[in-house]
Amino acid sequence: MKQHHLTPGYHVEILPPKQETEKLYEDLDRFANRFNRVMESGDCACITDNAMGNLAFQGTEVIEELELQVVEDQVMIHLNTFHTKKDLHRILDSCRALHIRRLLVVTGDGSDRLPRLTPAEVGAEGVAAVTSVELLRYIEHTYPGDFDLGVAFNPYEPEDYEFAKLARKLDAGATFVITQPVIERHPVVDKLITSYPELPVVVEAWMSKKLHLLSEAVGYEIPEDTPYEPIENLKALHRNYPESEVYLSILGFKTQYGLLQELRN
Amino acid sequence: MRTVVCVKQVPGTHDAKIDPDTKRIIREGIKVVINPFDTYALEAAVQIRERIGGEVICLTMGPPRAVTVLREGITVGADRGILLSDRAFGGSDTWATSYALAKAIRKIGDVDLVICGKQAIDGDTAQVGPGIAAHLSWPQATYVMDIDEIANGSLIAKRLHEDGWDLCSLRLPAVITVVKDINQPRVPTLKGRLAAEQQEIPVWKAEDIGAAPERIGLDASPTRVVQTNPPAARKNEGLRLDGTVEQNVARLVQELRRRSLV
Repeated sequence: MKQHHLTPGYHVEILPPKQETEKLYEDLDRFANRFNRVMESGDCACITDNAMGNLAFQGTEVIEELELQVVEDQVMIHLNTFHTKKDLHRILDSCRALHIRRLLVVTGDGSDRLPRLTPAEVGAEGVAAVTSVELLRYIEHTYPGDFDLGVAFNPYEPEDYEFAKLARKLDAGATFVITQPVIERHPVVDKLITSYPELPVVVEAWMSKKLHLLSEAVGYEIPEDTPYEPIENLKALHRNYPESEVYLSILGFKTQYGLLQELRN
Repeated sequence: MRTVVCVKQVPGTHDAKIDPDTKRIIREGIKVVINPFDTYALEAAVQIRERIGGEVICLTMGPPRAVTVLREGITVGADRGILLSDRAFGGSDTWATSYALAKAIRKIGDVDLVICGKQAIDGDTAQVGPGIAAHLSWPQATYVMDIDEIANGSLIAKRLHEDGWDLCSLRLPAVITVVKDINQPRVPTLKGRLAAEQQEIPVWKAEDIGAAPERIGLDASPTRVVQTNPPAARKNEGLRLDGTVEQNVARLVQELRRRSLV
């Protein structure tokens, strides 16, 4: 039995507008519409941080600029290590001001145009680069008790290695876990849940029909013509992981979001 | 302190194609970005203004859509932008381009410093910055990696070279080109972008800057590209491990950590 649930609904990934967009106002409108829909539905809006190294505007600054209404416990900000220390604090301070408690702390993909935190800046010793572990520890130390810190768990990595990494993340302050996309069921996710019975585990559901885009994440080639029904997979995840919450990535707001109603509890 | 930053719109590195007949880069219908080296020039100028006050003006020459790089400049802190756009500029090489930019800088007036990226990633010539200095008859320093001081009408800068750096003093007004080592460009903010979107960008034609028709455009360009070849494909960097198993594992883990892969 889980100690507590993070949110009554789904975790819904929302990408903020990219820096290079030529349709800024249109993209901002789309972001606002999606964000508001997620708030009204009782779900949790999970806003990415330069996902895949593509430069985008920060979730907190978009929320502030558009004066969007944050519902308590219904917003999660992704936060990676590719920031200046000044920008990191700006994001964290904004989260605090907006009453956003939940952060997903990841190492991140980076880009040539993004700075990266240095070990010295976050008080980390004996490491060559800052990863999610050092960032977690720094946030926990600098903003004690202000945030619920989540981390990623990749069942496609070598098992021992991934569990060892998870132990370091938990030691650094992580309190919940979000997996990489799971197709129906994964034995390593099963093991994660049984190994940490009180740790909230959020299972990621891949909501695009293009399953082959997951090839890099899973570490083997998925043929382009592989048939895949996201909603059916989502139902399977609910069946197989009834105690876990679900994170929806690449969700089609026009075609899929309305269909979720019948699956809610 | 009035600083002009010259920026250029270049093809995204994965999109660059060469016209086999003209040997020039095909610029139509491809994704374009601000020349990455120019972002360091912009940051240097904004930092100078933050330190000692003044104004940062972003300047580019190109087709009307080049206005987007000026907006990028304003997004990260430039006060205003100016676009040089005229069919008469078409086909200009680095000499004719630097002439036009120099004329625009004269028209702006009271400019203390011109900063350019060390080169554009499409042409890779590194000639426009020095060309501007030549046309203006101003002192110049290329490959600047640090600006130590600006005071008493002079700028003191470190200039990178193969064996280290030189400390140079330039009497202002001057032109410098900068390398990546000089700073870490700030990440654009939404607030900055929204302000940039709302700003009017003036467009200057050749006659607005008093450019002599015989000194701009293809006919006024002394250089001709006679042959263009794609670069040889780069080999993936390899790492050979030929120690004991324990040594190899330790070395591999160390290398993966160094690259932040674990």
